[in-house]
Amino acid sequence: MIDAQLLISAVIFGLSIGAIFFLMAIGLSLCFGLMRIISLDQMLYYSLGAYITYSVSVASGSIALGVLGGMVVAGLASFAVERLILRRIYDRDIAFTMITSFGVLIGGVGVIKYFWGLVPRPVQIPLSSQVTIAGTEVPVYRLMLIAISLLVYGGLWLFLNRTIIGKAIRAGIESIEHVEGLGINVYRLFTVTFIIAGSLSGLAGGLYAPLIMVDPQMGLDVLAFVFMVVIIGGLGSIKGTLVSAFLVGQVVSLGSLIYAPLAQMAPFAVMLLILLIRPTGLYGTAFLKR
Amino acid sequence: MLNALKWWWGILLAFSLLACLRLFAPLPFVNEVLLFSIYTIGCNFLLGRVGFISFGQPAYLAVGAYAAAFYLYYFGTNPYVAILLGIVAGVIVSLAVGPLFVRLRSDYFALVNLALTVIVFYLMQKVLAGITKGDNGLWFLANIASTPLLDISRADQFFIFALLVAVAIWAFYKYLDDTLYGACCLATKVNEDKLHFLGYSNFRIRLLAFVIANTTTALAGAMYAIYLGLVSPEIASPARAADPVVVTILGGAGTLYGPLVGALAYTGMKDVISKLIGNWELFIGFLLVFIMLAGEKGIWGTLEPRLTKALFRKRDVASATKGRASR
Repeated sequence: MIDAQLLISAVIFGLSIGAIFFLMAIGLSLCFGLMRIISLDQMLYYSLGAYITYSVSVASGSIALGVLGGMVVAGLASFAVERLILRRIYDRDIAFTMITSFGVLIGGVGVIKYFWGLVPRPVQIPLSSQVTIAGTEVPVYRLMLIAISLLVYGGLWLFLNRTIIGKAIRAGIESIEHVEGLGINVYRLFTVTFIIAGSLSGLAGGLYAPLIMVDPQMGLDVLAFVFMVVIIGGLGSIKGTLVSAFLVGQVVSLGSLIYAPLAQMAPFAVMLLILLIRPTGLYGTAFLKR
Repeated sequence: MLNALKWWWGILLAFSLLACLRLFAPLPFVNEVLLFSIYTIGCNFLLGRVGFISFGQPAYLAVGAYAAAFYLYYFGTNPYVAILLGIVAGVIVSLAVGPLFVRLRSDYFALVNLALTVIVFYLMQKVLAGITKGDNGLWFLANIASTPLLDISRADQFFIFALLVAVAIWAFYKYLDDTLYGACCLATKVNEDKLHFLGYSNFRIRLLAFVIANTTTALAGAMYAIYLGLVSPEIASPARAADPVVVTILGGAGTLYGPLVGALAYTGMKDVISKLIGNWELFIGFLLVFIMLAGEKGIWGTLEPRLTKALFRKRDVASATKGRASR
């Protein structure tokens, strides 16, 4: 039988992985919710966030500054991409946006290769101390990740429910025409949402960078997992994304405790099972067409 | 006789051009183009005709490749039997997952197929490592027996074999386009409610299309296996999952010769550009965005109407054939 210490550390590990998954997937989910596009280029802002974190932390020695810089640069990049490319394709088919944003992602990987080269870069862990929970040593950084993701969820909830822009965005998710009818510039809402989504992806990259090696393919590597989180939660649902991110984190972590190769495969089996029962995911609604 | 010639005209011309290319280009390049175009036509059919975008073609490619590899590594020596087994495995797997997948909406379909690719990848790399030898892959080049009429264990004769297979596959897909079933496929893409109203079953049409497309992909996998003489989990690598989609779009989704033109352009550019600047993603990514913004027609989709027009001015008959041949 698995002993308690191993179990606790596995659960904490799963929660922290889930926290990263949540931050990575939330951009995709937000974009689908409002604009009805599948924005694979979020993975580009994720890699960009990680690379800026690396460069800034090497130059200044502060990871926190690096993560902040990563968020800002990711936000700027997403703003540029939205203005130049995505703005032209909002009214197109979903599959169309998927392919176009995939082109942006691949092209962006090429740009990253041009600036930083192919060599994987390591980033120092900012907090290497450990705390003891129920007799188990747990890294503080992983706890911090969980806290940050919950903060982001709370912040998003407040933004969407308590501010006027957030309310307009939520109304836009229900019906674009009505929001336009109220005299609100919907395209400006789209831009705002896209920048938020892009910077959250950048934040995910910056926070995850110390735990992995930063390399040009990192965005493509996590693509399948992000997809899965979004699908299990239901495209467009923020709450669903949170629940499914932590669910997938636990499946990865506990699955690898039982049988190591399961770590990569079990979540996909879970996804197939959930789709069999609910073809639209846990919190997804039936198809909404704009 | 004349009608038959009219019908075959486009296919024969396209593949004789490709056979001519054999004289100028190195053999591995032409083989790669042929295999890649067979690999892509399944995806092209799903995307252009049925409206399903699939990021999971490597899964079916791997199914065909591993079916052939298992036979050649553990049981027999005849490459033709291996290819046949690859096709059978493709039919079985797509029949097993098809009923589940084709019920899904187009966007979920793409993602679920990607998930299947990841599952197959880890299945081959880790879980079945005892049989598949994990990352090392199965090497069986020496096990392939030379066959009498067409010895496909040799690269130059493999080219002839691949060419014949490609002609057969293109004829099959052209025939599909002409049949009522092909029209139904297009209809289910454009308006499934209306098709349902007419008394057709969307589910059956999609399932059949799914099985046909993915069996073609499995066939391509089995041919890859025999051509390379080794199969490793790399063949199902999720990082390459978008390749067939990119090639389909590049060539022109839904056109008959799109996959061929796309595979030629893609393989050619990959060779040339990786030699010139070494930054291949940058180019293909922005090319993809450019093609999508310019109207998603792709190379062949843009070229074809102009060619037809140019020919139309000169010769009536040729253009009429061409117009019909390459809808």
